[in-house]
Amino acid sequence: MNGPRKEFVRVVQVSKRFPGVQALDNVDMVVHKGEVHGLVGENGSGKSTLIKILMGVHQKDSGKIYINGKEVNFKSPLEAQKKGLSAVYQEVMIVPELSVGENFFLGKLPLNRLGFVDWDKVYKESQKTIRDLGLEIDPRRKISNLSFGDRTMIMIAKVVREKANLVIFDEPTSYLTIEETDTLFNLIRLLRDKGLGVIYISHRLEEIFKICDTVSVLRDGQMVGTNPLPDVDENRIVSMMVGRPIDEMYNIRRAEPGEVLLEVKNLTRDPDFRNLSFYLRRGEVLGFYGLIGSGRTEIMRIIFGVEKPDSGEVIIKGKPMKFAHPYQAMAQGIGLVPEDRRFQGLAMSLTVRHNINISSYGEITNLGFIRRKDELSRTEKLVDALNIYTPSIEQLVNNLSGGNQQKVVIAKWFAKNVDVLIMDEPTTGVDVGAKVEIYRFIEGLIQQGKAVIIVSSYLPEVMGLADRILVMAEGDFMGEVRREDADEELLLSMACKVTLNSAAH
Amino acid sequence: MSLNKITKQISGTEKEAENNGRISIFSRFKLTTELTLLVIIVFIFIVMTVVTPNFMTIYNIGNLFKQASVIGIISIAATLVIISGGIDLSVGSLAGLVAMLVSVMISGNYMAKPILPAILITTVAGIVIGIYHGFIIHEIKLPPFIATLGSMIILRGIVKWISQARTIANLPESFTTFAKLSLFNSIPSLVLVWLAAILIIHIVLTRTTFGRNIYVIGSSQEVARLSGIRMRLNIYGIYILAAFLCTIAGILMTSRLSSAIPTGGSGYELTAIASAVIGGASLSGAQGSVIGTMMGTILMVMIVNAGVHLSINPFIMEIVQGALLTVAVVIDMLRQRRS
Ligand SMILES: Nc1ncnc2c1ncn2[C@@H]1O[C@H](COP(=O)(O)OP(=O)(O)OP(=O)(O)O)[C@@H](O)[C@H]1O
Ligand SMILES: [Mg+2]
Repeated sequence: MNGPRKEFVRVVQVSKRFPGVQALDNVDMVVHKGEVHGLVGENGSGKSTLIKILMGVHQKDSGKIYINGKEVNFKSPLEAQKKGLSAVYQEVMIVPELSVGENFFLGKLPLNRLGFVDWDKVYKESQKTIRDLGLEIDPRRKISNLSFGDRTMIMIAKVVREKANLVIFDEPTSYLTIEETDTLFNLIRLLRDKGLGVIYISHRLEEIFKICDTVSVLRDGQMVGTNPLPDVDENRIVSMMVGRPIDEMYNIRRAEPGEVLLEVKNLTRDPDFRNLSFYLRRGEVLGFYGLIGSGRTEIMRIIFGVEKPDSGEVIIKGKPMKFAHPYQAMAQGIGLVPEDRRFQGLAMSLTVRHNINISSYGEITNLGFIRRKDELSRTEKLVDALNIYTPSIEQLVNNLSGGNQQKVVIAKWFAKNVDVLIMDEPTTGVDVGAKVEIYRFIEGLIQQGKAVIIVSSYLPEVMGLADRILVMAEGDFMGEVRREDADEELLLSMACKVTLNSAAH
Repeated sequence: MSLNKITKQISGTEKEAENNGRISIFSRFKLTTELTLLVIIVFIFIVMTVVTPNFMTIYNIGNLFKQASVIGIISIAATLVIISGGIDLSVGSLAGLVAMLVSVMISGNYMAKPILPAILITTVAGIVIGIYHGFIIHEIKLPPFIATLGSMIILRGIVKWISQARTIANLPESFTTFAKLSLFNSIPSLVLVWLAAILIIHIVLTRTTFGRNIYVIGSSQEVARLSGIRMRLNIYGIYILAAFLCTIAGILMTSRLSSAIPTGGSGYELTAIASAVIGGASLSGAQGSVIGTMMGTILMVMIVNAGVHLSINPFIMEIVQGALLTVAVVIDMLRQRRS
């Protein structure tokens, strides 16, 4: 960036209060044209609230917002859109019952001469937008049939179509594959070079360093500072976010592997995966790495009794499992942190307290009656341990920030005593501090002779945590990699089905 | 059209945020819905006492609460099902069927039985209907609305059939005196049964795993299942408990009226659902309380009673009740939009 940068958006002393929470406290921020502005902060620090205020979704309590030097006061997202602002929200906000094409043209479907919707045009144009991003998605498909990754990409494509001047991304990469992330980054660079402003929110700091020119840090609703990159390093940013340095993220204490706890033999379910066998020993963390859609989630759901396989066996502590219901799997000591917190992990309309205890009420009842004191004390303890940012344990989960919702799902399984804990993308949207807590918890489990399966598309996480990593691609095992041998390129190439001589064992 | 949908989705949160001051009644609705209702009820009580001499009499108040007891117990049944995310339209017909069955048996016209066995048999019949609901809703996967709409019509048909559309009277005195008993000469037996039901179900909902599970199921069945909740057990449990409560209500109703009529309990399902919703239950599940429902019932019954004392045309009172239901559902929707 040469020459004086042109200011585009200026946020001045903006505050916002929700019941019991000061979400934003006199926040200042400036975004320039041709700048990718990173926004980081712990879960609940106010990032999403800030962009929702920018977009007119929420109304600020006080403060001013200027665009191109003129004060604006958006009452709705439509007004913001008209001024050239657009956003990819953290919680995917497209209409799942509609097709991809319809979503692109929402509210402005093109008509033909007879006054009917010109579907040809809808699908042709959306096809082109999708192709331009290097994607292969049929624009006639319903959104609800797409993976989260594809949904995010569709959202991104949609935003690009809208020809905005400022594009906001709120944790866009949570569900993206590495390739899709690269596509996204190239796109962002393209936008920047065209002179657009971009706000980029993420908990993955390496992404911030890769793509952002400037980074702003929020803590407890206050702007702690704005720095050009690479003037600050990762440690500095983390200590600005958390208020203290955090190190040795993935260094968990290993345990000596014991007897086999879980064994899977020739598990098949067409078309998701075929003939898979693996085992898990006490004290082990087994990683499943693969691109999204490679069949990992389906295996876990079968082990947990959510779905049935076509054939094959799951043996837990020497006994074959019946594939019937999750409660039976739980009785055998298996737990599952599901992939999707909003639709599988949380009762959104209930309280934090209720959600944390759902699976483990059996442990705090006398003759079927819940011991209130135990319920409260264990809930308080978990909320503290995971640093769940909430005004009270009686808050509805729906009102928590995304990362804090994820922490509640994790806390639910902290509360339940299981031997094998399967975690499917457990740290989606979780901040560094809480990640460390989750890793400590995993450490605690394996030290007690329990075992953990971790499914993650996030390489540093699998590589750092797992003793052994099983790599999957399109429903097949591409091989097992031991922790010592794991390196990024090897895993990636295996996951992409590229044959390398060194692959497999 | 769909864009509106999205903006609505988004701006729903906005409204909530903006109106926090005003809507906070609903955000802590558990307590405040109940308090608000209490205030309204007391207000109507006072107004009625002032404007008509016949309202605040032992006879009328006793009568009002006896009637509220029967509907109140049915409303608790409706509440349980609504919290679980379902709906039970058959509660009125079931109470009517129970009333008819027990009357037919003890009146000795045919299928004659002594009182206790008759009550036992009807209770079993009620539970069987609960099991049937569990079955078609959990195994066959019919939506509760359709499943219980069917039962509502079927059960009403059975009532008319076994009674041959006649009123069954001449019930033995030992059966009808129960409704005339009272504690300390002031609290009617029916009210005592109602209070007991309120207490027990309140404890079940707030203090037991089963109760907590009902809320989780109402929030999301998928989440409930993935949390290790035994869906079959719980769904059957909910509908059986609801049917059992309706059975009790049906028997009390018969004792109070000293007879059973073919249309007994018809329309109660709507009063019951209205009571639940007015009391804070949400038709989208996961919200509701027994205490709120109790207040809702008192309000519904009291309005009708007040109408009688003010000599308002009973048809108009039906309109008022319907309007009340509509308002309650609108309030429920506003509450939902908030989250
Ligand atoms: N609709 C709401 N009602 C009540 N509180 C809310 C609401 N939306 C957000 N909050 C609260 O405001 C605070 C900031 O939330 P926000 O979503 O902005 O956090 P965030 O920085 O985006 O966190 P994350 O990294 O977890 O997404 C949180 O404490 C959250 O609980
Ligand atoms: Mg957020």
